[in-house]
Amino acid sequence: MNKAISADFLRKKFKEMGYICGEEVIITTYLALCLKKPILIEGPPGVGKTEMAKVLAGAFETELIRLQGYEGLDENKALYEWNYQRQLLQIQISKENRQPKELEEDLFSFAYLLERPLLKAIRTPYRVVLLIDEVDKCDEEFEAFLFEVLSDFQVSIPELGTIKAKHIPIVVLTSNSERELSDGLKRRCVYLYLDFPSIEREVEIIKAKVPQAGEKLTLEIARAINYIRSNPDIKKKPSIAETIDWARSLVALNSDRLQGSLVEATLNIFLKSQTDQLTFREQIGGEELVQKARMGVFK
Amino acid sequence: MKKNSGVSPGGGAGSDRGILPSLIEVNVLRFARLLRSGGIKISSSELIDALNALTKVSLLEKNELKIALQATLIKRASDLSFFNKSFEAFFASPEIRLEQQKKYHFKQENLARDKKEAEQVFTFRGEKLDLTDEEKIVYASLPDKEKCRMQDFLSMTEGRGTLDKSFRPFLESIVKGRLSFWYKNMAKELDEKLPRPSLGDRELDAIRDAVEAGFGSGGRDLLHEDMHKIAREDLPRAMELIRRMARLLVNKISRRYRYSKKRKKLDIRRTIRDNLQYGGALFKLRYKSRRQQKPQLVLICDVSGSMIRYTSFVLQFIYGLNSVVQQIESFIFSDRLEKVTAHFQRGKSFEATISELVAGSASWGGGTYLHRSLASLINRYGQELKKNTIVIIVSDTKTVRHRDAVQELSKLKSKVKEIIWFNTLPRQEWEDSVTVKTFSQIVEMHPCNTLSDLQKALYKLTG
Repeated sequence: MNKAISADFLRKKFKEMGYICGEEVIITTYLALCLKKPILIEGPPGVGKTEMAKVLAGAFETELIRLQGYEGLDENKALYEWNYQRQLLQIQISKENRQPKELEEDLFSFAYLLERPLLKAIRTPYRVVLLIDEVDKCDEEFEAFLFEVLSDFQVSIPELGTIKAKHIPIVVLTSNSERELSDGLKRRCVYLYLDFPSIEREVEIIKAKVPQAGEKLTLEIARAINYIRSNPDIKKKPSIAETIDWARSLVALNSDRLQGSLVEATLNIFLKSQTDQLTFREQIGGEELVQKARMGVFK
Repeated sequence: MKKNSGVSPGGGAGSDRGILPSLIEVNVLRFARLLRSGGIKISSSELIDALNALTKVSLLEKNELKIALQATLIKRASDLSFFNKSFEAFFASPEIRLEQQKKYHFKQENLARDKKEAEQVFTFRGEKLDLTDEEKIVYASLPDKEKCRMQDFLSMTEGRGTLDKSFRPFLESIVKGRLSFWYKNMAKELDEKLPRPSLGDRELDAIRDAVEAGFGSGGRDLLHEDMHKIAREDLPRAMELIRRMARLLVNKISRRYRYSKKRKKLDIRRTIRDNLQYGGALFKLRYKSRRQQKPQLVLICDVSGSMIRYTSFVLQFIYGLNSVVQQIESFIFSDRLEKVTAHFQRGKSFEATISELVAGSASWGGGTYLHRSLASLINRYGQELKKNTIVIIVSDTKTVRHRDAVQELSKLKSKVKEIIWFNTLPRQEWEDSVTVKTFSQIVEMHPCNTLSDLQKALYKLTG
């Protein structure tokens, strides 16, 4: 992966891959790549944080290695683990006919090492994209361990010594801000806040992903979704992926404009909780949404 | 990208390659100082990153400059609004910067005049009273009627020949007490007027004034606004913040433990790993503790007369917590305790929930009888109080019979895992409050007068 890095290259590649974004995303990513720093992306769920890592992997035609953050994630699951079963079997097989020292050296070799995402990203002989998704869900101890790895891109395995990355991976960390991340981790990253797109940008996204949707339908969908997101009582705001799914559903139903009854019938595509659906029916309703989407004038 | 050649970073005219490196460095440092004055944490390594980033973008493109500084210096979404305003003020055109300077000088002249006016009034036996600059400005900002009243009082003491110099400290404390009263009453108005500690750079002081003025009109920072002053149109934003904070709180208190040396449940994987050194024979056993049950939450909110200004916040806090956690018992109290859990669990909108709650409850705006309410919680809802229960109290601590309340609070503490108290009384008033002093000996108390207070408390709680 020896692509020359430039903002223009990223702009072109992101567009080719259908990732419609603003200059903020392009320049920040470009800076992260130039400064060889991880990029920390925060923002509400469904704005395309994870997708950006995938797009980066596609842009550089390289592998995406993903580490999903969750409560209880530890070094063994993130970095490496010895293959105990295999080691035990080898001990039993070699008990009689091998010297203990020789056996020990053999047992702690790469053949018995189970690589987890972080080690894999460091050991891969080419530059990969490492996505550490929802890092805010990890415990603080793991976060502290993580920023050590991300500073030096090297890990120490007591039995094998220090392993240093040949190619520093492109690291993307995402967070839904459920927990404040430590200053140490944030200091090591370039920061990007991704919010829901504006109506104009969402129109571009729908056009790129669902080109079959007509001009009018695309605009009405973008306006309708924007209007729904602006309602503070809707708890789970429709994501960009849900907007696209909705557009695809409406195209599949052969509609070229939004209709009140159609909105009601396809509500579950973009509002996935009963509470939000109830709130929508009580406070907005299909007809009103269509009216707002056609007029384009919100409160 | 649109060129914006009229913009130069913080006072330096420049082109991409022609700017002296030192000028860029100086301006980045000054800009960082401005951001730090707004409470944004910026480390040295982040400053170095910013300088490195600036070598990768075109400095004549204002947007690129902004993105580079934002990506390297700002690491919290809540700091973005202050950053945006600071950037616009710092990297403004020469005309706007001149305007900023003019306004600043005008303000400084006014402050000097105000101080002089106060110094002329506050004398005793020909000597100036020992007042701080803030107190002098408070005086100058008083309504004329109050100024006259204070002047009359001072001339009366001056006129009494029997009062000697030993009366001066007493007089000063009377004057300071009166000014402190007015300071509390005119806090918001005075907050904009009172001078901030200088940043040691007059131009930067002027820019900071311009940034803060921006926050005062329209772009106010909700986080630092006293919660009862949050305007109706800002409520959705405030509510979103409260919900996010509620989620932070719930995540913290639901965090569970994993490994343990206590003999509870065998951790097979760790046992095998640790025993490989003994040839696979299970010599040392490793255990893991059972996952702790998620704690039961009990929320008690004060809706008495003294808390009526914070009703909106209290309700949003209950609604926010209920929307992110399923298992929560919610109570409101004034002169008696009332369980309101059911109102918040029907998946209704905020407005509908609140209308129903207010219509069906007699607790709003009553007197505060914390002891009675806590006793009622212990006696009537004892089954909700277990060893894994965390009780959250939202109240300003103002209650009658506070000694009885202390007893009930101690009883409650012995029954539950933890009590967390969010106090809406401003932090500076805690020193003078007997109830705050007494209750904080029993429970963990956190200031909760602004959303920023609440956020700080939650960060503290979440470690």
